[in-house]
Amino acid sequence: MPAIEDEAPLKNLKEGSSLVTPPKEHKKSNDNDDKSTVSITVVGASGDLAKKKIFPALFALYYEDCLPKHFTIFGYARSKMTDAELRNMVRKTLTCRIDKRENCGEKMEEFLSRCFYQSGQYDSEENFEELDKKLKEHETGRVSNRLFYLSIPPNIFVNAVKCATLSATSANGWTRVIVEKPFGRDSESSAALTSALKQYLEEDQIFRIDHYLGKELIENLSVLRFSNLIFEPLWSRQYIRNVQLIFSEDFGTEGRGGYFDHYGIIRDIMQNHLLQILAIFAMETPVSLDAEDIRNEKVKVLRSMMPLRADDVVIGQYKSHTKGGVSYPGYTDDKTVPKDSLTPTFAAAALFINNARWDGVPFLMKAGKALHNRRAEIRVQFRHVPGNLYNRSFGTDLDRATNELVIRVQPDEAIYLKINNKVPGLGMRLDRSNLNLLYKARYSKEIPCAYERLLLDAIEGERRLFIRSDELDAAWSLFTPLLKELDEKKIIPEYYPYGSRGPVGAHYLAAKYNVKWGDLGVEE
Amino acid sequence: MAKVFSSFHVENFCFTRKLTILPNSPHFQKWVPNIFSRIEPRNHLFELRSSNGYPLNAVSLQDEGSAANPLVQEVDFPEFEKGDSTLSITVVGASGDLAKKKIFPALFALYYEDCLPENFVVFGYARTKMKDEELRNMISRTLTCRIDKRENCGDKMEQFLKRCFYHSGQYNSEEHFAELNCKLKEKEGGKLSNRLFYLSIPPNIFVDVVRCASTKASSTTGWTRVIVEKPFGRDSESSSELTRCLKQYLNEDQIFRIDHYLGKELVENLSVLRFSNLVFEPLWSRNYIRNVQFIFSEDFGTEGRGGYFDHYGIIRDIMQNHLLQILALFAMETPVSMDAEDIRNEKVKVLRSMKPLQLEDVIVGQYKGHKKGDKLYPGYTDDPTVPNDSVTPTFAAAALFINNARWDGVPFLMKAGKALHTKGAEIRVQFRHVPGNLYKRNFGTDLDKATNELVLRVQPDEAIYLKINNKVPGLGMRLDRSDLNLLYKARYTREIPDAYERLLLDAVEGERRLFIRSDELDAAWALFTPLLKELEERKIAPELYPYGSRGPVGAYYLAAKHNVRWGDLTGEE
Repeated sequence: MPAIEDEAPLKNLKEGSSLVTPPKEHKKSNDNDDKSTVSITVVGASGDLAKKKIFPALFALYYEDCLPKHFTIFGYARSKMTDAELRNMVRKTLTCRIDKRENCGEKMEEFLSRCFYQSGQYDSEENFEELDKKLKEHETGRVSNRLFYLSIPPNIFVNAVKCATLSATSANGWTRVIVEKPFGRDSESSAALTSALKQYLEEDQIFRIDHYLGKELIENLSVLRFSNLIFEPLWSRQYIRNVQLIFSEDFGTEGRGGYFDHYGIIRDIMQNHLLQILAIFAMETPVSLDAEDIRNEKVKVLRSMMPLRADDVVIGQYKSHTKGGVSYPGYTDDKTVPKDSLTPTFAAAALFINNARWDGVPFLMKAGKALHNRRAEIRVQFRHVPGNLYNRSFGTDLDRATNELVIRVQPDEAIYLKINNKVPGLGMRLDRSNLNLLYKARYSKEIPCAYERLLLDAIEGERRLFIRSDELDAAWSLFTPLLKELDEKKIIPEYYPYGSRGPVGAHYLAAKYNVKWGDLGVEE
Repeated sequence: MAKVFSSFHVENFCFTRKLTILPNSPHFQKWVPNIFSRIEPRNHLFELRSSNGYPLNAVSLQDEGSAANPLVQEVDFPEFEKGDSTLSITVVGASGDLAKKKIFPALFALYYEDCLPENFVVFGYARTKMKDEELRNMISRTLTCRIDKRENCGDKMEQFLKRCFYHSGQYNSEEHFAELNCKLKEKEGGKLSNRLFYLSIPPNIFVDVVRCASTKASSTTGWTRVIVEKPFGRDSESSSELTRCLKQYLNEDQIFRIDHYLGKELVENLSVLRFSNLVFEPLWSRNYIRNVQFIFSEDFGTEGRGGYFDHYGIIRDIMQNHLLQILALFAMETPVSMDAEDIRNEKVKVLRSMKPLQLEDVIVGQYKGHKKGDKLYPGYTDDPTVPNDSVTPTFAAAALFINNARWDGVPFLMKAGKALHTKGAEIRVQFRHVPGNLYKRNFGTDLDKATNELVLRVQPDEAIYLKINNKVPGLGMRLDRSDLNLLYKARYTREIPDAYERLLLDAVEGERRLFIRSDELDAAWALFTPLLKELEERKIAPELYPYGSRGPVGAYYLAAKHNVRWGDLTGEE
């Protein structure tokens, strides 16, 4: 059982109102602390992700006293750099939490003094041996735990893992490796990657990150569902008409389309982030909150689904658009993208879960770039009230009068429930209002970045939010036939203007299953 | 509170329970905006039932409208030309406080919003000698214009006052009512006449007035209706005696017993919330609801006006009527329709499924003097209008049970008091705890603290909120209760009409949904009468509590006995 839950004491509950109390439950107070060390090696330290997310997240964890007493951070990359140069680079990206500026400068220096750099090739066992030596130096004979964060392109994953495990595995503690998407391009390449990784690592050493699972509201999804009686009876086909998982970005590839063009929006967003959220949303109640119990339930959901068919999917690609003198480039205008690229930048899909709880309930996904807004949200539309006494107050379209639960993951985290309400005044006119909870207004504390949570979980060995191999296989097998068909038949995406609401095909797809997109209603 | 008001709302403010049509439908030409016609004979083609005016063939605007702009425009089809009928509203007891503070302002507001028919007159009737002009002066001081539309207000006020007249007379003089009748006839000018009498007088003269009014001043061509306010007796016997007397002169459907709490916005909304939202429907029973609380509190005492109150006490004044009515609305089965008779049938069923209150399920209290800072707050018996040895309760808490399939075993707790630390009225629904809660460890040992709660705050600051368990944002897993909420002030810019406006309008329209039927009244008294008698016969001393406090601690023990915690006294609020 992970330390988080064990140590969430009664005391903390009573402090519920004092929201700025740091999460003390992460402070290690046992004796092991003195005898063990953690070394975190960021492989690909000069990359963007490392600079923007990983180092800041590590610093935030340090600031909040969530890292063990003895830890060191190593940057590893090909560029030649001294420790001081790495520190300078890292320093530029660190910010202090807005809510506690005190000592921030001091803390930052303390943190930086624990950062070191080792340059080397990703496929050189020799270079990793040098790293191993340096690590040992810092570990000074304590039990050594080592975490490698692979912030590198997928084609060198396996090489780096090979070298790291052969030359830099901890001799007396654990060794874990965090990898980020893409985990292959389809079932076969994903399985090949997994089997290659497994030559060098055990399943429980591989931490596949899906940073969406570290988002506050995704974490809260299970809390909402399993700790509130009022939601429990509603969570099934009996009351839920459809579920929508929506992701949109309001910018395109902006000159960095090389990687994206090789994958497309379905692989980039749907097959991983949205599908993972779907699985958490739809799973049966797990035996406990332990990682294996949760992941078992998620796999069951994925395995109850049929592979996507092409006629349940709409794909789109944004084209250039001029608005008020500003011209926004189309996808293929991006210099890093082939002129004849058919890679979808938008996709909508309808999925079904063939189990007793969800039979017949459409789960709709939608993801796109260069749309009119930026957001990620889950929308749960409920059925209409049977024999509604207020039918006449709604007109003929009862579907407009249904309840809807919206969980907005970003931006401006919020939960709200649309209910029908009487418009105040004489007479009886009904209207939809929101029962809502806007995080910004309720919680003054800054919401931690998903990477902080995930890094901390990896250090603590909490696997709940990481993806297991069988989950990954099941996820790919849902999408692979579709992806192959799209590629083979060279299916042309529907074009939509940059900054628009996406291709209209998405509406027809929804209409086919009697669904209205909740985010495109007049009300929003 | 500055308010913004859309012009759309102004025009259609009161045309809402009516037929909805597409603006481009062939009927559109017949739509005459701002015509008030619901009190006139209706076009039966469009009527389902005369009692609520829902049309059979409602259609809606599909393509327009949003949360902010109402979907439908509501119009009506007058069969008669306007001017065919008249409405006379006689306020009996026109010089009283209620008339000045509530009734005349409500009538003006209805007039302002174009909700009154074209031909109407308002008569004040009281013993005081007064001229029409004097009455108008008196009224004009109490009228205010809605804050959100000041334009023409002065004009409108003058127009309204021109329609106000006064007639002085004794309350038990048939002669004087006959004079009133002549004056009314004069104003009615031979048109179809509908007459509404509002009895704003002490209960001991109810029957006299009804006798005189109905024998001498009934309308011969249209309807005659009488609005009466509480108290409707002191117990089962006096109440049924009053009903019997009234029925000598009036039919059941002429009597409009007002309970102004039923006209409150959130009480009206209670049924909407319940019956038009799928998310609440499965929860509304003993399977999910652990207890329900009805809480009323005032932060002032009788303040030198305890004469009436001392005769009745808080149980009769608040519980037996307002809180019990809300309870019945809350707990009733789904009615066949929203028609008045269907709803009242269901409410009576609830009341009749309840057992009369037992003394051990009730706590009574009385406030005592309290010094806070330099200020001294007087106790109840310090009031010169209250006998020094009065044991009249100014506070009461009670546990009630409904013995039917839906509610068996669920405690319905009521609490009402004067001179408490806050002022408010609310309904709290506490849900059961989650069976097999996966997050048990995060709550500590007291799972009851982690249950959901739905709160409907009736006053002040109308709001609906639902307490849910939520993860405190941040690393780790700490849970906390947060609110999913809807504060009316923030969501609706329009001013919420006073309960009296709604009720007067309903009485004018013959909509009986919010008025209390005789059998409802009987059933309500039957629940409380044995208890009230026992309290009085045994002269049970109330538990004293300081002015401005949270009430007697006995209320906690009563709640604890039924395994309930008062939702308003948790420290969270």
